[in-house]
Amino acid sequence: MTRRARGLSGGQWIAQYASPTLVIIALLALWEVAASVGWLRPILFPPPSRLARSLYELATDGYPEGVTLWVHFGITMQRILTGYAGALALAVPLGLVIGCVPLLDRLTVPVVAFSRSVATLSLLPLAIVWFGTGEGSKMFLIGYGCFWVMLSNVVAAVQQVDPLLIRAAHSMDTGRLGIFTRVLLPAALPRMFAGARVSLGVGFMVIVGAEMIGTIKGLGALIMEARTFYRNDITMVGMALLGVIGMLIAVMLQRIEAWLLPWQSRERR
Amino acid sequence: MTFGPSMATPQFKIEVDHLGKRFDSDGPALPPVLDDIQLKVAENEFVVLLGRSGCGKTTLLNIIAGLERASSGEARVDNRVVTRPGAGKGMVFQQGALFPWLTARQNVEFAARNRGVPRGERGLRSAELLALVGLTGAQDKYPSELSGGMQQRVAIARALALDPDILLMDEPFGALDELTRIEMQNELLRVWAARRKTVVFVTHSIWEALMLADRIVVMAARPGRIVLERCISIMRPRVITDPALLQLHKEIWEALQ
Repeated sequence: MTRRARGLSGGQWIAQYASPTLVIIALLALWEVAASVGWLRPILFPPPSRLARSLYELATDGYPEGVTLWVHFGITMQRILTGYAGALALAVPLGLVIGCVPLLDRLTVPVVAFSRSVATLSLLPLAIVWFGTGEGSKMFLIGYGCFWVMLSNVVAAVQQVDPLLIRAAHSMDTGRLGIFTRVLLPAALPRMFAGARVSLGVGFMVIVGAEMIGTIKGLGALIMEARTFYRNDITMVGMALLGVIGMLIAVMLQRIEAWLLPWQSRERR
Repeated sequence: MTFGPSMATPQFKIEVDHLGKRFDSDGPALPPVLDDIQLKVAENEFVVLLGRSGCGKTTLLNIIAGLERASSGEARVDNRVVTRPGAGKGMVFQQGALFPWLTARQNVEFAARNRGVPRGERGLRSAELLALVGLTGAQDKYPSELSGGMQQRVAIARALALDPDILLMDEPFGALDELTRIEMQNELLRVWAARRKTVVFVTHSIWEALMLADRIVVMAARPGRIVLERCISIMRPRVITDPALLQLHKEIWEALQ
């Protein structure tokens, strides 16, 4: 996208993109220098030039041998997206129902608050007993983490809909179904999207732990495997790649949001 | 001469008959929100309910709208007891209550759809109404992009899209600055002249009531009741310096004490 299309002047463009990039480059340079003059021990803090070589090694030969970056990347992406999508598919309809029925909300509040507060990774041993060390336990952990966060957000989204809007729709003799589909849903969407973003963040916190057991594929497994052999360079590359996936999905969600909620993005402008 | 339903045409568009309202949460010790209200509104009459906050004027409006139930007595529209919204009643709220995810035009179309206007005609109908309230250029803007006054214009257009006989307005200009407020009062009178409706308008501004009303109904609180009714036959547009209005202002002011 061109500068003009985004409506940014030269000064704004520098402030938004150029300056932060310079900061990153400066930090990397400092790191490189610090490692080469001996302020940082390269074995503990491999310099950026070393990381670049490791990245190349990872992309071609793979680590462990034969499992390339692309495999790790693809597997992790797949696990996160399936677990996340499954969690949303369950949490959204359930949350809508609970949000609409105050009695159900009163009944489920303690369960939701408790389940949400259980640190997901503490379920790892149980998950392995229940679902084995394969894909099942990983999906379960990611799904579990995402589900409760999303559920409580959907419930809150429905409950926080401005009652005046419901009254207005009611005064126009909108039927019950109409009030749900034409008023409640669109009114709750922004908060639901916020919940989806938070929930995805949880998915990322869980994935590394979930991939620590029973697999050598996936970025979490890569990080653990490298740690065992003091390959801090590989661990760091794995971390960075997780960051890249996180950013990619966040940008994707932002695009979907801007497309689905045009009134929100226009507000911010 | 035939004795059809036309013979039963009521003399009044709205009749409020011995109406009382008490909230369950209030308990029996508190006086009722509304106590034995009697009110008749003629077709195409512009009635203003005036009173301090808490006098029950909004509750009375909501009961006429069918959004709330009376505890005793009843409200009738066209001789039929009001039990639910719709059926020829359009409502305008203080905060506009526009749907933020819809553009001005789509907000009006929402109401047109409820009125049963076929899909193909909704756009035209909405454009017409938005033009009537002076909003032709801003049709595709979202409410957040409109000023408070413009939002209320959309809200009025939306209420009109229901093609109602009755317009119920709950402090519609209460959140606007004074200049915009005066502008909107004149706009409302212009629209009302173009599309005659029975209007029940709630406000706590004496001057607003004096500028707009055919009849002012002054209410007092605890228990909510009518303490004064005055008809105003002065031609519109009215000027604030009119001695008759000043006299009325004094009388209403005293009734509100």
